[in-house]
Amino acid sequence: MLGGAVLLDACGSPSKSTSTSPSKRPPLAKEPGNLSILEWPGYEAHGTKAQTNGLLAGKAYTSRFGTSGITYTYITNDDQALEKATAAGPFDLMHPCHENLPDYVTRGLVQPFDTSLIPSFSQLNPFLAKKGQINGKQYMIPWDWGYGSLTYRTDHVAASDATGWQLAWNKKYSGKISLWGGASTNFEIAALKLGFPSMDNLTTSQLTQAKAALLAQKPLNKLYWDNEYTQLQPDLKSGTTWIGYSWQDTLVTLSGEKIPVAFLNPSQGRLSWLCGFMLGANTKNYYHCHDYVESYINHAACAQMTNSYYYGTSNATVKPSDIKNQTLVKALKLGDPSAIAASDVHLQSWSPNRPALEKAWLEIVAA
Amino acid sequence: MRPVSRIGSAGLAFYFWAFVLFLFAPLVVLLIFSVNSSPTPTLPLSGFSTEWFHQAFSNAELTGALVRSVFIALVAAAIATALGIVASLGLMALRGRALSMALTLLLLPLVVPYICLAVGLLILVEVLGSGPSLIAVVLGHCVIVLPFAILVIMPRLRSLDPAMNEAALDLGASSFAALRLITLPLLAPALVSSGIICFVTSFDEFAIASFLAPSGQPTYPVFLYASARTPALLPEVIAVGALIIAGSLLLVMLAEGGRRWAELRLVGANADTESVQSEAEDDQPPATVAMASG
Amino acid sequence: MRRRPGKGALVLPPLLFVVALLGVPVVFIALFSVGLRSNIPGAPVAFSLSNWSDFLTGGGGAFRGRFVYSMEVAVGVSVVTTIAAYPLAYFLSFVARRRTYALLLLLLAPFFTSYLLRVIAWQIILNSSGVVNSLLWGMHLRPQGDPVSWLIYSTFSVSLVLFYTWIPFVSLPIFVVLENMDHALQEAAADLGASRMATFWKVTVPLSLPGVIAGFVFVLIPTTGEFITPLLVGGPNNQLFGNSIQAFFSATPDWNYGSVLAIALIVVVVVLTLLFGRFLQTDLRAEAEPGR
Repeated sequence: MLGGAVLLDACGSPSKSTSTSPSKRPPLAKEPGNLSILEWPGYEAHGTKAQTNGLLAGKAYTSRFGTSGITYTYITNDDQALEKATAAGPFDLMHPCHENLPDYVTRGLVQPFDTSLIPSFSQLNPFLAKKGQINGKQYMIPWDWGYGSLTYRTDHVAASDATGWQLAWNKKYSGKISLWGGASTNFEIAALKLGFPSMDNLTTSQLTQAKAALLAQKPLNKLYWDNEYTQLQPDLKSGTTWIGYSWQDTLVTLSGEKIPVAFLNPSQGRLSWLCGFMLGANTKNYYHCHDYVESYINHAACAQMTNSYYYGTSNATVKPSDIKNQTLVKALKLGDPSAIAASDVHLQSWSPNRPALEKAWLEIVAA
Repeated sequence: MRPVSRIGSAGLAFYFWAFVLFLFAPLVVLLIFSVNSSPTPTLPLSGFSTEWFHQAFSNAELTGALVRSVFIALVAAAIATALGIVASLGLMALRGRALSMALTLLLLPLVVPYICLAVGLLILVEVLGSGPSLIAVVLGHCVIVLPFAILVIMPRLRSLDPAMNEAALDLGASSFAALRLITLPLLAPALVSSGIICFVTSFDEFAIASFLAPSGQPTYPVFLYASARTPALLPEVIAVGALIIAGSLLLVMLAEGGRRWAELRLVGANADTESVQSEAEDDQPPATVAMASG
Repeated sequence: MRRRPGKGALVLPPLLFVVALLGVPVVFIALFSVGLRSNIPGAPVAFSLSNWSDFLTGGGGAFRGRFVYSMEVAVGVSVVTTIAAYPLAYFLSFVARRRTYALLLLLLAPFFTSYLLRVIAWQIILNSSGVVNSLLWGMHLRPQGDPVSWLIYSTFSVSLVLFYTWIPFVSLPIFVVLENMDHALQEAAADLGASRMATFWKVTVPLSLPGVIAGFVFVLIPTTGEFITPLLVGGPNNQLFGNSIQAFFSATPDWNYGSVLAIALIVVVVVLTLLFGRFLQTDLRAEAEPGR
């Protein structure tokens, strides 16, 4: 993140942004109202056809404006999201994770929010809110945070094997492993497995070693999943896969269906992440977008999200006591957002050699 | 001695009909699951339901994508057919090297892989600064269906009796009037075939649309692809898919029937009584065979 | 028809159209491939063959391997499809005397329905709880819940779907050439005492070879650039070369390297067309000349 901020200062102001000045912005009633949103599967607003997990977030928006104006384009991973936002945009709202935030700003894809238009903004955890700022401007409104690790079937994977990230390289489980299709994430995992000090800042030689490690891991994979609901979770449930990269929601969902799984706590430390909303630079729905974000970050929406997916939320008024499963709350430290930056986890952050990582990843995929 | 023995004939017939079954099986599967009440397409079937059709047509995104695709396909087919007429007229007047080169260039889109053309057009719209747009999709589709239009219109144009056109000109009509009043009506079957082939190709085109359609405005194939990977939307997708399949098959039958009807009318207009009788009796090759045999 | 000197110029507007929407994009892809343009903000822009040398000889071995795999699949599918299509065309031409064109239309009809829908249909049929597997479970030929693994997301599924898609289309040129064949030749061979099989192999097949090759090319050329089928029924190891190109333009900012792959594919397809071009559409040129 720091590196990204430095880069931004050097680059100067963003090139493509032509965001309208406040005086030229049409009022809410005159906006077209058709939101094109870049979003993760599962996070669609309440009331939309695609929202099948019972998420409450977005209800305040859809009750007022209806659902027919909202179109979702799906994120499969953050690298793809950035490219999609660049080449296939423009989007009104985007909900990726914060590691590529500097790129979104440099490429002129986003404009800062006017936080005075979002009443619940004042309830947000200051540590997380700061993470969404660049040069003091609120480019990202944080919403959800959590961890990334390997979810594994305890009835098939020996506890003695489940000690660290190297589990994904264990030949004993060949064909039963399913990593995510996210390039930077996989390089971070490889970096952690190889013991490199800075997973988001690899030297060329470290990059080569990580690439070799991922090439060695590839044959053990059943597939690199893109969608946790249609691929990872059904596969873990049916036993097609025993070990998969996931976020903690998979643990919660599968445990709820009485599948014996565990969320690995590797010796090298889990990955952690923070995601949030960004406002399209040329959106014609300025006020609609702010209302949409408000409908996600209000207390009720945040509490319900945490109770469903067991991701942390940015709204500080959601107390641990509001969450049902206290065991999970303690295990995942859901009451304390600054846990994502603790020393025992690795927060996924901006990487200066992302283009090189992605190209290397495509080579791995093609191999 | 017949070229094929009786056993051979029976064997070939069995092979043919087995293949027809194989070809239609996936289409039948879609039709069956479109009225299956279970949300997952698996056996055993769970009961009859038209629920998915209701859901599909109340899905604004789906109907929007369908409408968008129909519109794009209509425009692309119209432009390509018009350009095809112009190109065919021009090609008729060329010969030798000029004809070769012109034909090669015009038919080039048949050969370039659609993924390469798609990324090329993506680069083009980025360079021009306009970014993805539905107009870009229309133009991209025009370019890929233009060869089909030419391949359908050219043989028909060639087969017209030039005497008709000459007679019109001798009677004092301008070139354009002769074109409009004589040639174009005579070309009608080919124009209809061209329109249908171009429409169907554009409607179903995925590669170019996936790169050039703006994110909130997918064409139907782009929407279809995204939905095919979402189990919740799969039944609706299957329902609409079944309708489209049924519609395409109907269209093929109508097109063939319409073409035969137009042939009969025009053969009559040529006042060639012998050919009326012989042509009317035999099966006539459909447009695609005409294309393949040149 | 009297040749009108000015009318040839009518080809110009369509030609310009194709040049603008096909030629210019290809030129831009080429420029990207040698580094003369870039879409990474702030990246240096200068002529450089480094991406080309990386792909052709250097570290791009993964992509070369994927290219080889793609060609293997394409050629394999083309060969099998062409051989399988021959009896269909033969049936239509020699056995189905009176209803030839109606049956041909029946064969072609699926080809005119949506390609994407047909691939999705196969996905439903082949996937791990799909029609085939649930049928096997229902008939107790396999234990419940245990799917046949190679049915989906495998080279088999990709090849099967490609075979299925193209076989009607491949039958067409073979059929045309069999139809246009003078059947008197077979009769002459019979009169000279040849058996049916001998006539078939020594007369019919050699004469129909141009149509067979045309059919082979009809399926080979589109299949080399195929990328949609692997997306829906292919696994991570069955992605084709077209998928690599697609990935570069959707998942990474590195359009330069992706352009190298795209140009390579175009070159391959152009070479194939030049090699086999004489089997395609020559009649069109001959018939287009006036005064015949």
